[in-house]
Amino acid sequence: MTTDRILLVLLLVFVVAAPFLFPMVTAAEMLVFALVAVATNIMVGYTGMLSFGQAMFFGSGAYASGLMLKAGLPLIVALPGAALVVMVLSMAVGFFCVRRTGLYFICLTFAFNQMFYFIAYIWTGVTGGEDGLPGIPRPEFIATPMAFYVFTAVVLLASLLVIWRILHAPLGLVFRLIRENPSRTAAVGYDVRRFRWYAFVISSTFTGLAGGVYAMLYGIVPIDQIHWLRSGDFIFMLLFGGSGNFFGPVIGAVAYIFLSDTLAVIWARWLLVLGIIFAITVLFFRGGIVGLVETVAAKLTGRRAGEAEATR
Amino acid sequence: MTFLILSQLLNGFALGMIYALVGVGLTLILGILNIPNFAHGALYAIGAYLTYTVARLTGSFYIAILIAPLGTVLIGLVLEHQGIRRLYSAHHDYQLLFLFAMALILQELIVIIWGPVGFSVMPPKALMGATNLGFVIYPTYRLALIVFTLIIIVTLTVFLTFTNLGAILRAGIEDREMASVLGINIDKMFLLTFGLGAWLAGLAGALATPILGLTPTMGLDILPISFVIVVVAGLGSVPGAIVAGILIGIAQGLTTIWWPQAANVVIYILMGLTIIARPQGLFGTR
Repeated sequence: MTTDRILLVLLLVFVVAAPFLFPMVTAAEMLVFALVAVATNIMVGYTGMLSFGQAMFFGSGAYASGLMLKAGLPLIVALPGAALVVMVLSMAVGFFCVRRTGLYFICLTFAFNQMFYFIAYIWTGVTGGEDGLPGIPRPEFIATPMAFYVFTAVVLLASLLVIWRILHAPLGLVFRLIRENPSRTAAVGYDVRRFRWYAFVISSTFTGLAGGVYAMLYGIVPIDQIHWLRSGDFIFMLLFGGSGNFFGPVIGAVAYIFLSDTLAVIWARWLLVLGIIFAITVLFFRGGIVGLVETVAAKLTGRRAGEAEATR
Repeated sequence: MTFLILSQLLNGFALGMIYALVGVGLTLILGILNIPNFAHGALYAIGAYLTYTVARLTGSFYIAILIAPLGTVLIGLVLEHQGIRRLYSAHHDYQLLFLFAMALILQELIVIIWGPVGFSVMPPKALMGATNLGFVIYPTYRLALIVFTLIIIVTLTVFLTFTNLGAILRAGIEDREMASVLGINIDKMFLLTFGLGAWLAGLAGALATPILGLTPTMGLDILPISFVIVVVAGLGSVPGAIVAGILIGIAQGLTTIWWPQAANVVIYILMGLTIIARPQGLFGTR
């Protein structure tokens, strides 16, 4: 509980400070991916379903909002519209995926993601195919980088509030129950598959919303954003920050963007370094950054307690 | 037209044999180790690149397809022994991420060692040209590929069905805990499985070189296909993986005739149809 409060304060401080620490566009990108990571955590960390298909919803949201904005629709229609499109898509995909669990679920989401990628790839008339979807206009009131950053921050914080409420409502409790013990949850009388489906759709919808904001960030949707490698990045952001905590994924996303941006400037083969960092995280810091900080803090306070005892 | 359809059918079959090899390798690792091997595609790519190098050094494609897969086995054994072994008790999340990281590392190493540009590889001289089968004239290398992989698959099936070691592996797929209670050395079994899986991936990569060429991203391309094979087959089914691999190859081959761009999508349509009709996969029981 106290950790959450500290992290919340840290998050607010970061949102205010980020535009001064990083280029404005990078700061906005961090917030967009922070939302994706938190949304992914609804499924992965809270419900215990590892999805390898978040990029299909992120990309679909980006394409949907990009197309609507290009068609001249106002933001107030385009962004919720994109979220709605993704919601419907995820309801269909989720229907098939939640029928299986564990490894099979991973395989299914992964394969569906690749299916979406190839649809985007060959549907050049709509998605621009390999070249991506360019020329997405940004509404006037968020035309400047600063205004866009503020807008992104508002979307992030509002979404986090909603997700927090969902996860701390009875619904979120059922999600956690499913993660801990699906068969017991079923025995209590919950339709486990249905609740898994809810988690899938909620998680995907917020991911799609983030995609919708992303489309305006650079004014283009590159096709990489719907590729399954992106899903891998999202999972990494989440676990890098710590999936056991509500705010952990935010830290993971920010650290990931910072790390990849920095490395990419230094060496063209930066993915090699990133891979090594992935591996070290997985082998030695399974709690992610939040887990690491908690362990260190516990050790420090533990040592302090020990010292106090010794002096007495 | 008939000629085109027949030759595409055979092309698809040859491609399907490669898919089947990759799929069986992934299935063994998934079924026995309970691990989603995201590095499987990277091992396939390494197998292909090693084949290219060994073939250039020795001048013999045959020696290359013998040696190159052994290289991937070596990498596979190191991965299992140094990495995955620490993660068996951990959640799928971490195993998956670790193997994903390994895939990134191996792929980047390929670019560093062999460069970012792809190559094409010629089949050995004896297998160049075409053979007249009576109903169709067909590239000799692809025929040899089909025959050779059939031999491998039959051998593997015999090994799994009739040998003691094969029985142990099958027991591992059925029920890992029971197998360990019966006194089977699980550590060795896991090492063996991962080695065998890596060998199949490497061999598939080696055999694919004259057909598909070499690109650093070839591993990323084959990986989703091999997961689709597992989904269509049913988790952990070796015969299912063989059938699914061949089916997908043929579907891809035939789609190429009418709508080449959709050749990659048809794989997923096939998957969609399968999970609508049989959510547990063609040969799945769970």
